[in-house]
Amino acid sequence: MICEVCQARFLPLNGGAADATAPLQRCPQCYQAELVSQALSDEIQPFIHPAELAIPFALSTADIDQAVQRFANGIPFPPSDLTGERLRSRLNRIYLPMWLVDAQVKAEWQAEAGFNYRVISRQERYSAQGWSSQPVEEQRIRWEPRLGRLQRAYQNIVVPALEDHRRLQAALGEFDLRQAQPYQIRLAQNVLLRLPDRPPQAAWSEAKPALQSAAAEECRRAARADHLRRFAWRPKFNSLNWTLLLLPVYTTYYLDDEGHPQAVWINGKSGQLSGRRRASPSRARRAALIWLIAAAICFLISLALAAASTFAPLLLALAVLALTFALLAGIGAATPLLRVWWFNRPASA
Amino acid sequence: MSENFPPPGFIPTESAIPGIEVFIPTPPDSGPHQEIVDFKCPQCGATTAFSAADGGLTCTHCSYYEAPKKPIVGRAAEQFEFTVETMARAAQGWGTARKELSCQNCGATTSLPEDSLTVVCPFCGSNKVIQRQAAQDLLRPRFVLPFKITEADCARIARQWLGESWMLPSGLSDIATLGGFTGLYLPYWTFDADLQADWKAEVGHTKTERYYNNGEWKTRTVVEWRWESGRANLHIDDLLTPGSARLSQNLLHQIGNFDLSTLAPYEPAYLAGFQAKAYDIPLEAAWEVGRQAMREQARLACLSQTSTPQVRNFNMNLDYANESWRYVLLPVYVAHYTYAGKTYQALVNGQSGAIAGQRPVDWNKVWLAIAAILSPGVLLGLLGLMTAPLAGIGMVIGGVGFTLLIIGVVIAIAVYLKADRMDDL
Repeated sequence: MICEVCQARFLPLNGGAADATAPLQRCPQCYQAELVSQALSDEIQPFIHPAELAIPFALSTADIDQAVQRFANGIPFPPSDLTGERLRSRLNRIYLPMWLVDAQVKAEWQAEAGFNYRVISRQERYSAQGWSSQPVEEQRIRWEPRLGRLQRAYQNIVVPALEDHRRLQAALGEFDLRQAQPYQIRLAQNVLLRLPDRPPQAAWSEAKPALQSAAAEECRRAARADHLRRFAWRPKFNSLNWTLLLLPVYTTYYLDDEGHPQAVWINGKSGQLSGRRRASPSRARRAALIWLIAAAICFLISLALAAASTFAPLLLALAVLALTFALLAGIGAATPLLRVWWFNRPASA
Repeated sequence: MSENFPPPGFIPTESAIPGIEVFIPTPPDSGPHQEIVDFKCPQCGATTAFSAADGGLTCTHCSYYEAPKKPIVGRAAEQFEFTVETMARAAQGWGTARKELSCQNCGATTSLPEDSLTVVCPFCGSNKVIQRQAAQDLLRPRFVLPFKITEADCARIARQWLGESWMLPSGLSDIATLGGFTGLYLPYWTFDADLQADWKAEVGHTKTERYYNNGEWKTRTVVEWRWESGRANLHIDDLLTPGSARLSQNLLHQIGNFDLSTLAPYEPAYLAGFQAKAYDIPLEAAWEVGRQAMREQARLACLSQTSTPQVRNFNMNLDYANESWRYVLLPVYVAHYTYAGKTYQALVNGQSGAIAGQRPVDWNKVWLAIAAILSPGVLLGLLGLMTAPLAGIGMVIGGVGFTLLIIGVVIAIAVYLKADRMDDL
């Protein structure tokens, strides 16, 4: 399935296999349009069945309730569609993909290995009493050249499979990849798999530095060094194998004033929530109008009381009081508009 | 994979991960693993020795010459940080079999070649010495400043030195006992450090002010004290600190203008034919002495930043960074000569030829000179006294005599002090 607005492609999973009978639904990423059926591209198809690892959804219903309620609360004049209940009722479970790369590597490498050592320095002080001296222990790093050969197999090097992976990660926070489990059927019940939009050929440019980092870390350990820098290698890669790691995400949405869906994302592991919280200008305008009407009524009353005070001078005090209320209510009428404007300004989005 | 791997200069080392080979730079020669060096001429089999004139090993029998294996490194010689690890890593021992002389008179310990027949302590001239194998647990010197001055040069320098002052006995420069110069490598520590000194002090500014007192305006000078602060950054490079307390520090200071730009990596060959003194002031103690000199330099640098020289309540915080040290051997000739039954010591800088030492003063000459300096004043003074009844002329003669006497006393004191200092060294 593909969303024709955001071009995100999804594969409905039910019981570990693609669910061809799944009903069409709104795109769980942008919620702008219905998903449209589309055949899997040849570029991706060989790599996605089955996924190798998955981080299971770990949030309980209570956790999700708490998260969406926290999202819905605290918004001045929220859109009528923005309620915890609505957000809950529209929840979708999706898996975001990451590539897992396995490779056999042969390489010659060289680097500077850093070894921690401690030195005793000095701090001295001169005063009227003369000199006083105290030793100060400092840790320093001794750098020494190292080189060598490497013949190792690296498995499950993680590489982004989506073009917008970094943006999503910034919104949802880091996933603890150590919690990934071998993919099982029970992890794929009624869930949509977001399909990679970066094929392995495109992701290889990121896989190589990741493999280099993994190799550098192993070379550091092999050299029994505390640090490694200026690592350079001449690698030859063999037996490349690409599989998928699935990251759990809940998505939902609400409709803003203009009826546009605003997507809300929840990290399926940590519960970190991301989405644009919008206040409703129309509700704010209505509130402001009520305040203005109240101000106008007070003003009319104050005029009436002022006219009546020619017969009963004491009523003049009440007229002044009513006029004050009218002024305060008039000023207060701007408050809802200002609050909504302040809340919806770009910096708070 | 390239065929010429690893490149030259690298050797394999143990790897902590299977499948990964690790190569490290070939370590430099270290002392304990070095074979015992036999300084025999490969041509004629005679003993070879380092020649200061030629700058290498030479054979006195067949003129065989062998240049030092390692090039001069000068001030770029490797320096070490103050770590326990570095101390432990430093190779130990002399790299060749050497004997050790232990003087029963002054307590000095000297390392000398195994075939040396020397039984005289180079420090005090005593022959009350015992020989034993050199201890191997001393930090090995890494750099050496080779001798440039030969023994023959020393004798010439010494003769000139002994004959240059009228206060010395006549014929001192010709005494037969002079010439027994012993080439000796003395231990020195060199220290480097970057210093950052933050100071704060009250600095006095003198000003003149007017004030009204007893119906009139007067002026007076007052000192206005203001707080000032600043920071001085200094780089101390190759501060030399003796590693032995056996020789007069005063004499060492006088000959201590060594030029470290010709430092060479330590090779046993440099010590062939010479004695060498192991340090008896350990690194920590020498560093304390070095720091005293550094902190004084830092204090003076801070004081030079004050806006006036009047300073009080001076405080300074001194941070050391990039401290490093070297253990080097510097060339010195030591000679003892006897005059009038008394033994005197002289030191010659084996690189520059600077000489310092004790010299016997001919006090008869000195007293005669002092008498000659004082006599004009005394005589004129007496003449003035005698001619005092003649009024004017007597007063003039007496005045001149008094003036000459004062000048004579000043010069006499200077002559005496110089002679005394020469005698006391």
